[in-house]
Amino acid sequence: MENIFVNAAGGIRNLLESAGLPGLAVDLIVLTVIFVAILVFVLLNVLWLVYMERKVSAFIQCRIGPNRVGPMGLFQTIADTVKLISKEIIIPKNTNKKLFLLAPVMIFMPPMAVFAVTPFGKGMVALDLNIGVYYFVALASLSTVIIWTAGWTSNNKYSLLGSMRVVAQMVSYEVPLLLSIVGVVLLTGTLNLTGIITSQQSVWFIFLQPLAFLIYLIAAVAETNRTPFDLVEGESEIITGPFTEYSGMGFAFFFLAEYANVLLVSMLASILFLGGWLAPFGLTFIPSWIWLLLKVYLMIFILMWLRWTYPRIRIDQMMAFCWKVLVPLAIVNIFVTGIGKYLYESVRW
Amino acid sequence: MFGKGLLKGLKITIGRFFGKKSTVQYPEKRLPLPDRFYGKPDFHYDKCIACNLCVNACPNKVITLGTDTVEKKKVVTGYHFDQQYCLFCGLCEEACPKDAITFTDDFELTTYDRNTIGIEFVKQEQVDNKIKEIKQAAAEKAAAEKAAAETKVQTENTDKEQTTNKEGGA
Ligand code: SF4
Ligand code: SF4
Repeated sequence: MENIFVNAAGGIRNLLESAGLPGLAVDLIVLTVIFVAILVFVLLNVLWLVYMERKVSAFIQCRIGPNRVGPMGLFQTIADTVKLISKEIIIPKNTNKKLFLLAPVMIFMPPMAVFAVTPFGKGMVALDLNIGVYYFVALASLSTVIIWTAGWTSNNKYSLLGSMRVVAQMVSYEVPLLLSIVGVVLLTGTLNLTGIITSQQSVWFIFLQPLAFLIYLIAAVAETNRTPFDLVEGESEIITGPFTEYSGMGFAFFFLAEYANVLLVSMLASILFLGGWLAPFGLTFIPSWIWLLLKVYLMIFILMWLRWTYPRIRIDQMMAFCWKVLVPLAIVNIFVTGIGKYLYESVRW
Repeated sequence: MFGKGLLKGLKITIGRFFGKKSTVQYPEKRLPLPDRFYGKPDFHYDKCIACNLCVNACPNKVITLGTDTVEKKKVVTGYHFDQQYCLFCGLCEEACPKDAITFTDDFELTTYDRNTIGIEFVKQEQVDNKIKEIKQAAAEKAAAEKAAAETKVQTENTDKEQTTNKEGGA
């Protein structure tokens, strides 16, 4: 169980090598297989997350949620996606057609690119980048540009307002998000995601960095544009923000990409703060990748729980909260962490 | 303390998450309807006296009453209820002196065709039966009257005879 995926990849590699293919071709094919596997994993999770979100929201509101399509309504998302695919793609007048259509195509790119470096289990990482954290932050913020493209090319005032909010919100919340991660990086001294996980062997960083975890959680909610920070698509004010003009598959892509981002931030949270694929209490008979999935889904549940509890806040409140509360707190956290680490090391030596 | 309200909110929602759900799965289960619910109308042919009061009471001209006079008696030959215009106000029910029009609690009134939404309550055989009944009753009555008249004449005759006999005997 533990090594099922690693062995499968190794098996493919051996098979290809014994078939007499050159090394480069073998590498290429194996990597392609791995990336397709990650793609399938992400898409399946995204479909499941849409269903889960609807169920969680229903349960919190004393409802039952989708329960007609398939057993327990499991095929609801598939039905919805098929419906969206079959719809006409409407391109409004005076839009920049190429960019308008390019935006939904590109929206999946940043999260997918980040999944390439995330460790899914022990030894289960497609590219073990030694600047993984940096790569994550750099790529994740690319979504801003793409959503801005969507809003700008739609040639619609609501879209433009929404995408301006995206830029303001994402750029602002990137700062506390980054600063909260710095605390973890200070403790481990590495930017490699696998390295960060293995250094949590004795204690998870959520216990050493509770404040950083809290800041990360809040910033992650804002980064994924979810309530209470979903001003980007504040329905009561700007319809659906940058996605107003999109129909059919274009809208479906943005919608599903939101869940890919949720999966991503939850994954990073469990890697940085919850010990990644490390098993707690020595329960190592459960495979590492199942542990990671459990932690990721715990994080996702918390995000959904937050979403269906709090109302949307005002944009000025949101910006003030970021710059006046989160950023100073994150900086204080870094200072305390640095001093603590220094003291700890000087005491130990 | 700052954030107390936030935690309280989270506590409430997680309670709801695990709590009892209030959805009723409609086609399989239904909520009980109140007694005075106005659903699909129902018409009782035998009670109706064709007085036309319901037709006059209706604000929307929903009801069309067809009548005929058989043997000096009014017979209902048609009672068309054009349901699409009915606003379920119940004025017709209120106006009816014989409770011949009532409302059930069946609220599933949708149809696939506009033409099928009106209801014709009276069936031709009901009318035929009624007319037959009335005619029979009238015939019986006539017969009875005739018979009664005859017996009356007879008794009168016998009476006369008896008196003459008495007179003769005396
Ligand atoms: S319920 Fe009201 S609208 Fe409907 S038939 Fe009776 S009187 Fe007319
Ligand atoms: S008011 Fe009642 S008795 Fe009179 S015609 Fe209407 S249904 Fe018949």
